[in-house]
Amino acid sequence: MLSPLVVDAPFEWHYIRSIIRVSLYVSLTAVVLSTLFSLPIALVLGFTEFRGKTLLTSLINTGMGFPSVVVGLIVLFALSNDGPLGSWDLVFTPEAMIISQFVLAAPVITGVSLAAVGGVEQNVRDAAYAMGGTTVDVALVTIKEARYGIATAVLAGFGRAISEVGSVLIVGGNIAGSDGTSVTRTLTTAIQLEARQGRFETAMLLGAILVVLVLLVNAIVVRLGNGGGRYR
Amino acid sequence: MTLEAIDVHHGYGNETVFDGVSLSVPPGEIVAIIGPSGVGKSTLLRLLALFDAPDQGSIAYDSEDVWELPDQRRLEHRRRIGMVFQEASLFDASVRRNVEYGLRVRQSWPDRIRHELSRLIGTANGTHSAIDAIETVGLGDRIDQDATSLSGGEAQRVAFARALAYEPDVLLLDEPTSDLDPRNTAEIEAAIREAKQRDIGVAIATHDMHQAKRIADSVAVLLETDIIEVGETEAIFETPTDDRTRKFIQGELIY
Repeated sequence: MLSPLVVDAPFEWHYIRSIIRVSLYVSLTAVVLSTLFSLPIALVLGFTEFRGKTLLTSLINTGMGFPSVVVGLIVLFALSNDGPLGSWDLVFTPEAMIISQFVLAAPVITGVSLAAVGGVEQNVRDAAYAMGGTTVDVALVTIKEARYGIATAVLAGFGRAISEVGSVLIVGGNIAGSDGTSVTRTLTTAIQLEARQGRFETAMLLGAILVVLVLLVNAIVVRLGNGGGRYR
Repeated sequence: MTLEAIDVHHGYGNETVFDGVSLSVPPGEIVAIIGPSGVGKSTLLRLLALFDAPDQGSIAYDSEDVWELPDQRRLEHRRRIGMVFQEASLFDASVRRNVEYGLRVRQSWPDRIRHELSRLIGTANGTHSAIDAIETVGLGDRIDQDATSLSGGEAQRVAFARALAYEPDVLLLDEPTSDLDPRNTAEIEAAIREAKQRDIGVAIATHDMHQAKRIADSVAVLLETDIIEVGETEAIFETPTDDRTRKFIQGELIY
């Protein structure tokens, strides 16, 4: 016999599927962009000495704990008609949510990657250089050696992105279209809405899906991190 | 091809490390650099390996002042030089991957990508010179082992094979056996002699006088900020011309 949850709640699957699609599109895009942005910064910060490095590192670490609603507010101001990026016309679009999640995830990915990259010994980088490696080769060796830490950084960034409510609610608006599919509604904002409207079964299901997604992405990233290293 | 340091002056901040050091590493010759700890043996090898430019003076390869050359040409020269450090510093990968590294970075990017793809689908073959280098250090049976699982001595032998695999003209060895047991030391020394047979010029920094006597053709004595004496090994150990050399070799406190 099926569980009461499934029997009692005739879920609108196309609605739920569209929410999952928007959530994954927004968070995965934001994390990929954040990683591409953050890794070079972590490498440069890890291996060069310059004035203001300590300050910059402190700023990144502060950014790791930045409240998401504040980020949402700043991004909303930037994208609003009067804001500096008003001409992009992005308010209440998935792309606006990507921007705000990018801002949230980038410090996490940079900070954790920086710690991982800093853990790669100078000796190992010297060895790569001594064998004829160029600066790019040495950077690649460093990324490879720090792969577990970098995988952790990406996971932490993804976790921060997909699980936050505040900024996507502000810049995305939690909108569903007239056909009942999500435009800017993510798993988190949908859970928040469904729970508030008393549809606890739907909220619970969405919550379960969110947890499963996070687990899946974790498994994939950890697998990639391992696979990158155990080569023959 | 001879690698040379010519009248090198170098320092860190206000500290002078070298005040006019000259040293030549000709093909097929083993040059031991001896001197007390902290005198700058590693710094000299790093300058020869083109990690940094000397403050003054020049590093010459094939009679060309390397730091006067365009980047690409300097990289080509740098790739004729191999270096082994006191610590093995292996990559977290298999022995084969470690030893092939020098060969990989010398490939063009399309070739590298092609190689990585064929490795992923399991059709990549080992490179002959890499396998040869691994066998030279006596680790032919460990080729597919994870490098991080090797003992200290075996790891250092892999580090040596790594430098040998791309067939350099010059090998720079920075105290390569100081942490090793006699057996692994003997393996490394055999590989150094093998390198000499292949006409590779070898510079080895060591504080082990017996090792210098065993393997070196010539010895350079680095003391304070200069090479105070350089000559054939036997001459340096039997009839040193500088009194400080005699004292250093006899283990007297002169610094």
